[in-house]
Amino acid sequence: MIRYLIKNNFKLMFRNTWSIVVMLLGPILVIAVLSSAFTELMKSYEGVDEFSVGYRLQEAADGHMIESAKAAGEEAGILFYEYPEGDIQDVMEKNELAGFVEFSEDGYVVYKSGDYEVEGITLEYFMHRAMQEGVNAVLRMEEQDVTLPVTELEFMPAVDSVDYYGIIYIVYFCWCCSICATGVLGNEKKYGIVRRFQVSNISETQNYLSKFIPLTLVVSVAMAVTTGITILLFDIHWGNPILSAFLVFMMIMAGNALSLMLYNISDNLVITVIMLFMVVWFMGFFGGSFETYMFSSWPDLLKQLSPIYHGNRALVELSCMGKSDYVAGSLLYSLAVTVICSVIAIMAGSIRKRGRA
Amino acid sequence: MGGIVLKTTDLTKKYNNKAVVDNLNIEIKQGEIFGLLGPNGAGKSTTMNMICSIVRPTAGEIELLGKNPWKQKKEVIHKVGYIPQELAVHGNLKAWENVELFTSLYGIKGEQLKKAVNESLEYVGLLERKQEFAKNFSGGMKRRLNIACAIGHHPELLIFDEPTVGIDPQSRNFILDKIKESNKRGATVIYTSHYMEEVEAICTRIAIMDNGKVIACGTSEELKRLVNGDDEHITLEEVFLTLTGKKLRDYTE
Ligand SMILES: Nc1ncnc2c1ncn2[C@@H]1O[C@H](COP(=O)(O)OP(=O)(O)OP(=O)(O)O)[C@@H](O)[C@H]1O
Ligand SMILES: [Mg+2]
Repeated sequence: MIRYLIKNNFKLMFRNTWSIVVMLLGPILVIAVLSSAFTELMKSYEGVDEFSVGYRLQEAADGHMIESAKAAGEEAGILFYEYPEGDIQDVMEKNELAGFVEFSEDGYVVYKSGDYEVEGITLEYFMHRAMQEGVNAVLRMEEQDVTLPVTELEFMPAVDSVDYYGIIYIVYFCWCCSICATGVLGNEKKYGIVRRFQVSNISETQNYLSKFIPLTLVVSVAMAVTTGITILLFDIHWGNPILSAFLVFMMIMAGNALSLMLYNISDNLVITVIMLFMVVWFMGFFGGSFETYMFSSWPDLLKQLSPIYHGNRALVELSCMGKSDYVAGSLLYSLAVTVICSVIAIMAGSIRKRGRA
Repeated sequence: MGGIVLKTTDLTKKYNNKAVVDNLNIEIKQGEIFGLLGPNGAGKSTTMNMICSIVRPTAGEIELLGKNPWKQKKEVIHKVGYIPQELAVHGNLKAWENVELFTSLYGIKGEQLKKAVNESLEYVGLLERKQEFAKNFSGGMKRRLNIACAIGHHPELLIFDEPTVGIDPQSRNFILDKIKESNKRGATVIYTSHYMEEVEAICTRIAIMDNGKVIACGTSEELKRLVNGDDEHITLEEVFLTLTGKKLRDYTE
């Protein structure tokens, strides 16, 4: 019996032209602006060749670790040469080094050169990863002969900035496009339509599904169209189309469940929209929506907590490497968010209904 | 005739410890058109909302068609047609889509639903305009659509909460005629209003409510007699003003 509810809610959302236009144009504009702004950085990053860096050990520094880092660096195209003496800046200039690392007992310092901006960032990222791996290895008590797993250092897929932002902003919008339900939810409340639902036998679950299903349909269609347009306009390369579409679809469902949950809890549209944007902004902030996740230096835990990080990483890696270890994680994460938020939304709705003053 | 459709026992609703509906006892028999008359803020809508399981009572009992609408909602609520005081329709849906949406809530589907939608629209005289969006309707047409959305499932009890607010005499008479027609077809009607003439014209029995209490109940003749002894030359409006006082309502004293 909720067939007709779904159908009419779908029509309502679809006729909300304003939100449809925002949904369609939003990602296109953002991708156009951001991808051109970051083209410089990403383009050179993509074409980074082998480069040389210098290093120096202070007395108490751990030699094993440095040897392993050197080996891993060679695999990744970073050649380390030792320069024990001299002013670091002079040494860098004289030997045309792209960077310099000074190891000490409790860490390292990376020196970068203005002439080698991209190499500098790459070196920084490499050091960050290498140290992380090294620390992990130490924690695993493999103090002798630490070998850094070089496969893990496949961190530099040659993704171009247009592809990166073209993918990442579709993901970002998937999470907040549920705002196109606000028209329906707002009217239901404003005009007392919820009362009609109360004077009937539809359950909270049916009520929830009658919003969730059409919302997912509308957002999916809109996202498919806008993705299609961005592909035509900017020549964005997605990886495996079916898998990518499925990943995006799952995130759309998660975003919708999240916002319906926020609405059922707060019973207030303004709060819902603000909360949704805040939550999504934070997830995007740590997940690589504003700063590319490869270069962001957020603690790994914060990144891993963000479902957007998993989605971004899975989709970007699918695009540039054809495979990704993050696919399963992203799917599971989206599914978990969808299920948990739906259950909470239905519970919150029925509690509110039961206790309605 | 004869069965009791609605009975409330000491029905009470308090907001912030102030009784908005105060120990209300009413009994409505099958086949009646029961008028609930009262000034703004008397508690009419609140009473209707408690009966329809929209607003939870603070105390008291409701027996709706032999059931408790709060505990046995599933068994009884589909026998009720509730026309809210607000215009509860979606402006962005066409007339027929609105009726379809709300009629489908009662489990009606397929051909039967199509038929019910057309019947409801014809009933309120909107059949020719069923393809128009509700937002483009005039106030009177929206009122009629509001009614059409609640009658498609042929309820045994129709609850009209001020269905004639802000509309012209033609539309009003049309709606009143329709209410009488539904009643003839067998529906019991509860009709809420503060227009005396309307209530007098269609209701078989009237309760006058003020400050959450029923202060008088009976046929219009009985009410007139109550105020003015045997003098029949009093209007119901005078009865109303005499009983409820002339003070402006919705004022916090
Ligand atoms: N949710 C609420 N919270 C607090 N007070 C409320 C609430 N709903 C209604 N009231 C109060 O209850 C009183 C009765 O309201 P109600 O809507 O039942 O009156 P009414 O008889 O239908 O009036 P009207 O003719 O204006 O529609 C009013 O004083 C109103 O302010
Ligand atoms: Mg009212």
